[in-house]
Amino acid sequence: MTIDMSQFYQVFFEETAEHLTAMESLLLELDIASPDSEALNAIFRAAHSIKGSSGTFGFTDLAEVTHVLENLLDRIRKNELALRNDMVDAFLDAGDVLKAMLAAHQGGAPVAEGAVAEVCANLKALTTDAVAPALSVAAVPSLPPAVLPTEEGFDIEFLPTVEATADHRALPNLLQALSSMGRLDVVAQPEAGAPGLWCLRLFTGRPQAEFEDFLAFVSETDGWRVKRIATDATDAGGAYGLFDAPDAAPVEDAYGLFEPVDGAPAASAFVVDEGDGFGFFEPLPVAPESAASPLAEVEGDGFGFFEPMPPPQASSASAVAVSPPLPAELPVVSEATSAPGAASVPAAAPEIRAKPAVVPGAEAASIRVSVERADQLINLVGELVITQAMLLQCAAQMHDAAPEALTNGLAQLERNTRGLQEAIMSIRMMPISFVFSRFPRVVRDLSSKLGKQVELKMNGETTELDKGLIERIADPLTHLIRNSLDHGVELPEKRIAAGKSPVGTITLKAAHQGGNIVIEVGDDGAGLDRQRIMSKARERGFQISDQMSDQDVWALIFEAGFSTAEVVTDVSGRGVGMDVVRRNIQAMGGRIEIESMTGVGTRMTVRLPLTLAILDGMSVAVGGHIYILPLSYVIESVQPERGDVKTLSNQTRVIQVRNEYLPVVTLHDMFRVPGAETDFTKGIMIVLDADGTKAALFVDALVGQHQVVIKSLEQNYRRVSGISGATIMGDGRVALILDVSALIELSRAAQAVAVPVTA
Amino acid sequence: MEIAKQHNGNGVAEDDQVASEYLTFRLGEEEYAIDILKVQEIRGYEPPTAIAYAPPFIKGVINLRGIIVPIVDLRIKFGLGTVDYTPFTVVIILNVTQRVIGIVVDSVSDVTSLTAGQIRQAPDFSASFDTKYILGLATIDKRMLIITDIQRLMSSRDMELIDDAAEA
Repeated sequence: MTIDMSQFYQVFFEETAEHLTAMESLLLELDIASPDSEALNAIFRAAHSIKGSSGTFGFTDLAEVTHVLENLLDRIRKNELALRNDMVDAFLDAGDVLKAMLAAHQGGAPVAEGAVAEVCANLKALTTDAVAPALSVAAVPSLPPAVLPTEEGFDIEFLPTVEATADHRALPNLLQALSSMGRLDVVAQPEAGAPGLWCLRLFTGRPQAEFEDFLAFVSETDGWRVKRIATDATDAGGAYGLFDAPDAAPVEDAYGLFEPVDGAPAASAFVVDEGDGFGFFEPLPVAPESAASPLAEVEGDGFGFFEPMPPPQASSASAVAVSPPLPAELPVVSEATSAPGAASVPAAAPEIRAKPAVVPGAEAASIRVSVERADQLINLVGELVITQAMLLQCAAQMHDAAPEALTNGLAQLERNTRGLQEAIMSIRMMPISFVFSRFPRVVRDLSSKLGKQVELKMNGETTELDKGLIERIADPLTHLIRNSLDHGVELPEKRIAAGKSPVGTITLKAAHQGGNIVIEVGDDGAGLDRQRIMSKARERGFQISDQMSDQDVWALIFEAGFSTAEVVTDVSGRGVGMDVVRRNIQAMGGRIEIESMTGVGTRMTVRLPLTLAILDGMSVAVGGHIYILPLSYVIESVQPERGDVKTLSNQTRVIQVRNEYLPVVTLHDMFRVPGAETDFTKGIMIVLDADGTKAALFVDALVGQHQVVIKSLEQNYRRVSGISGATIMGDGRVALILDVSALIELSRAAQAVAVPVTA
Repeated sequence: MEIAKQHNGNGVAEDDQVASEYLTFRLGEEEYAIDILKVQEIRGYEPPTAIAYAPPFIKGVINLRGIIVPIVDLRIKFGLGTVDYTPFTVVIILNVTQRVIGIVVDSVSDVTSLTAGQIRQAPDFSASFDTKYILGLATIDKRMLIITDIQRLMSSRDMELIDDAAEA
C-alpha cells in the first residue's frame, strides 16, 4: 500500500486518546459486582479500536499492550470470569501505559520498558488465572484456552420461503430470535426482498433443536441446514490479521484490511469499529484457502465456499438455481469464541443493522477543526463587530440625513453580526465533562492510597465553557479535589465515631450563573479548623486578629506556604498549591471562595468567566481617556460627599464605605493622566474587590457597561503594570483594560497603605 | 542583523552589485533609509490611546485592523524636526521581529535602490543617534541617507517597546 500513513497520525493520536479516555471513564463507572455488559462491550470496543488502528498505523508496541488487555477483557466480557477489582486496576494501569506510549510517539518521553512489561505480565497473569478453571471443565480436551466449552458455534444456512421473503418482518424477527440466544453473525444474505440463501453463524449455549424450529418456520421444506462448527483458535488466528500477535487468542486478528470471511465470531461486536475507518473493505464472502486448510483436517470434510451444495430437495431446487453457488458446508469458523451471555447480544445485533446509517451520520455530526482556525474565526468576527459598530456610529451622526434603507440595513447587520458572534463563540465552548471525567480516577486512586472511602458525585457535566479555560481549570480543580480528599474527608473510623457514614462524599458541581460558570468542590468531611488555621497563621507570622471573620480566616489557606496538615503526605501538606490554585484561577479572571462548617464539610466555589476572549467590562472616563474595569471586580460605586475622603498621616487617602475604611486609588495620579477631575466630590468612587482586598478607585465618570473583546497589548508592546490588556471600542479607538489587583498593589506600594481596618 | 554583517563586514566584493530597496524618510533636516522589507504600510496619523508609564516618545497604541499597535514618535526620540500632528503627519508601520510597530516621521521621501558598494561606513560618532543602529551612509543626488538598522533599533532597550529587550 502506497498511502502515506503519516498524514493520518494526528487523527490516530486524537482518536486513540479519546478511546483511552472513554475506556477509563467506563472502567471507573463499572459496577464490579454486576458489570453492565453494554459497558464491558464498550470498553472492549475501545480497546479493540486502539489495537486495530495502532496496528494499521504501525505502532506495534501499542497494539501489543492492547492485545493483552483485550484478551482479559474478552474473557470478562464473555462471562468466562468474574470482574474483580484488581482487574480494573490492571486495566487502568494499562490505560496509563498506553497513554504514556502514545505521548512517546508524539514526541514525549519514552516509556520505561519495565512498566510496559509489568503491565502486560500482570494482565496475562489475570487472564490465565481465569482460563484455568474454564479448561478444567472443557468438554474437548484439545480445545485451546480461548474456548468456553459450554457454548458452541453453528453455521446455519437456510433458504427462506417465498412468503417469508416477501414478509418484511419475518426475517428480522428470525434474526432477533437467534441473536437473543447467543451471538449471531450474518455471513451472507441476499438482497432485501430478493429470494436467496442466508448464511448465519450463531454461538450459543442452547441446544441446536431450539433454534432449528425457528429455521423450519421460515425456510423452504428442508431448505435449511445447521452445522456445528469445529473450533480452532490458533490456526486461523494468525492466518488473517495484518499482524501476528504473540499469543493467538480469540478475536485478536479479526480486523485488518480485509474482513475475514470467517467473520471471526467477534465480528458482530466489531462492526462499529470497522466503521471507524480501519476496515477498508467490506466483509468479503470468500474464505482464504490458507485459513481453510488446517480446519479441513479438523472437520474432515470440504468446506470451501464454492463447493457445490449437495443436490437440494426438489422443493427448493428452483430457488437454489438463481442463488449463488451454495457451499456444501458453511465456512468453518476459525475461532470458536464462546458467546457472551444473552444480554450482550442485543447490543451487538443492533450495531449490525445500524452500521450503514451510523457511519455517514457520525461524519456529519462533528468535524475536527484546529483551534487556530476557530480562533481566527473569532478574531475576524471581532473585527466585523467593531466595523459594524463604526458604521452604526457613522449613520447615527448623519441623524435624519441617513436614508431609511441604510438604517434598516445597519439594524439588520447588527442582528446578524451578533448572531454570528454568538455562533462562533460557541465553537470554542466545550462541556466541562472533559475535565470532570478525569476525577473519578483521581478520587479512586487517592482514596485507596489514603485508606479512605470516598464517593465522588458529579453534577452539571454538560455545562459548557471556553476550551482555553477547560485546559487551564483542570490543574486547580484537581488540586482542590486532592485537597478535599486529603484534608477534608476523614478516615472511616473517624467518620463512624462522628456518627457519619464511613463513606465520605465529594461533590463536584458546575453550573452557569449569569455570565459566569460556577464550579463547586464540596466534601462532607471535618471542615476547616479555625483555631488551627489561626495558630498556624500566627506561627507563620501573618498579621491576624481574633476578630477576623470566618471568611477571612479561610482565605488564609490561600497564602503561600500555608498548610495545616499534621503530616506532610505525597498528596498534600507541603503548603504549595492552594496559593497556586488561587493565582491560576485569578489569572483566568475568576475567583475562589470557601465556605466551611466544622464537622459538616467544606465547599470551595470557583467562579470563572465563560470565556477568556470576552470580558464584561465597565468603562470609566479619566481625563478624556476611557479605561475598562472588569465587572467581576466591581462591587458598587459611590459619589463621595465633601469630607468623606480623609487622609492618614497626610499621604494615604481613605474613604469610609459601609463601615469600612477603604484606601483610595486615584487613577489619574497612578497613570499620570492630565486634565482629570481632582475634586473628589465631582468624580465617582468605584469600590473594587480584588482577591479579598478592597479599595476605592477614583475616576471622573462611569461611561457604560460593555462586553469587550480582549486584545493583547504585549503582542506588539511590552507589559504595562496596572493594565491587563486592551480592547477596541465601538468607535475604533483603543481602550486599555485595567488590572485591578495590580493597581491596588501598585497604589499600596506607592503610598505604603496599611491594610484596611475593620471599623 | 544579517544586513549589519553584510555591510559592515569584510564581504564587500560580491555584495557590491546586489541592490536592496530602501524606504527613505525625513526627520528634520536628516534623511534616513530603512530596509523596505521591514515596512508593512504607510498611513496617516490618528491620535493614539495613551499608555500609562510610557516614555514621551511612545505616543500610545492604535487599532490597526484589530491589532493593537504602539506608535513611536521618532522625532521626539531623536529630538529632530517639529513635533506637531497634522493631517499630513505620516506613520510608517513596521514589521520587525514579528511585532508590528508604528513610527511617526516628518515625511516619507521615496524608495531607493542601493548596492552595498554605495554604502559607506559612518564615522564613529553621532550626536543624536547611536551609531550602533547605523549600517552606513549613502549619497544619492547629493542627499546623505542614513541607512538604519530599524529592526535593531526597535528591539533595543532604548525604545522601551519590548519587555526583555536585549542590550543592543
